[in-house]
Amino acid sequence: MKSSSPPSQADFHQAISSRGDRWFGACLRITHSRELAEDAVQDALLSAWQKRHQFQHGARLDTWIHRIAVNAALQLLRKRRPGVFEPLDFDIEDEEPELEDTRHAEELGADLVRALDKLSDIERVCFVLKHLEEWRLKEIAEETGSNVGTVKQALFRGVRKLRGSMPTLRSVTT
Amino acid sequence: MNDDILTLYFYDDGLSAEERQDVARALQSDAELAERYRRLCDELSSLKAPEDEALPPDLAARFHDTIDRAANLERGREQAAPPRMHFWSFFWGAAVTAALAVGIGIGVWFGGDSTPSATQSTGLIAEASVSPDAFVRSVQVHFRDSRAELNQLSDISAADRMILVASLIEQNRLYARAAQQNDADDLARVLRAFEPILVQLAAEDIAPTDAEALRSQLAFELDVMLTKLSREPSDETDSI
Repeated sequence: MKSSSPPSQADFHQAISSRGDRWFGACLRITHSRELAEDAVQDALLSAWQKRHQFQHGARLDTWIHRIAVNAALQLLRKRRPGVFEPLDFDIEDEEPELEDTRHAEELGADLVRALDKLSDIERVCFVLKHLEEWRLKEIAEETGSNVGTVKQALFRGVRKLRGSMPTLRSVTT
Repeated sequence: MNDDILTLYFYDDGLSAEERQDVARALQSDAELAERYRRLCDELSSLKAPEDEALPPDLAARFHDTIDRAANLERGREQAAPPRMHFWSFFWGAAVTAALAVGIGIGVWFGGDSTPSATQSTGLIAEASVSPDAFVRSVQVHFRDSRAELNQLSDISAADRMILVASLIEQNRLYARAAQQNDADDLARVLRAFEPILVQLAAEDIAPTDAEALRSQLAFELDVMLTKLSREPSDETDSI
């Protein structure tokens, strides 16, 4: 890519070929919906194309689009499920996992994708953004229209549930 | 000290410098706590992002198409930009019209390998092979509704335009998905092909002339698509 020109059509195609799976995977983990994840990546591509003149040279195009895609996924999730990022009135951390769920988790071992099924939307989103996408808590709060306290609580609940529902992990580490 | 604090310590986020020092001191002086923290670190570190599956070919193609259509649309708009000199307006008008026709005809062309027809050369309208069922009729209704809503665009505020177009995009996506589920892949592609235009139309900073050009293009494409669908044998059942 030339340093003085915005990313070209070919650059976008190359980024899609090399990183499209990662964008889609990240959006899928956030939305838990293939349809929303597909739309999020498409939205991100259109948005990135239209804003390509703002792309900072020296940055990576695929990383830039990844971030836009994650934001698009959050927007779509919020639109599809209004109130998704509002704090819960109750703490569901003490819920015992269903026997079926436990067996499921044991069978799947450390399959994080399946383990994420056990989390509520806000817990899953906060955990994915913090743990996998490595966002700061403040950023998560800003992008979800929430506050840091709510994000922390959702993260704590998510971490506790994941640890509690992955007995095979425990057996390995203890 | 509970695991929540240890979790924040692990992520190096959400604790003040002083709080972090407190945790560090506690970990040094309390072996049981240190063991609990080690276990937490092990478990959290084990939760790695899974290997992402390769994109299904149709999805990868959709993403590539998105960029191609956006780029082609942009080229069409650039070619259709109004002339700066009045003296040459007639000449430029004719040239731009020709360029736009060629640009749309060639640039936004997609579809299979069947022989092009007059209808296909309108750009977005490819050879959608529609199946004779109620779904196709519902798509016709969608096109008609979209067409009617597009007519209102010039009479409403920019904010209302954005809301209206966003709603059109959402409906369009639902129909595209439904088309996919009804094995009408070509029709799904036609529906998706409208999206880059709609997205541009929803842009906050779009010039009124550009908006009108896009609106006209969409209206034209919808008309052609409606004509094409109404010619399908299946549509004869419409009046039943």
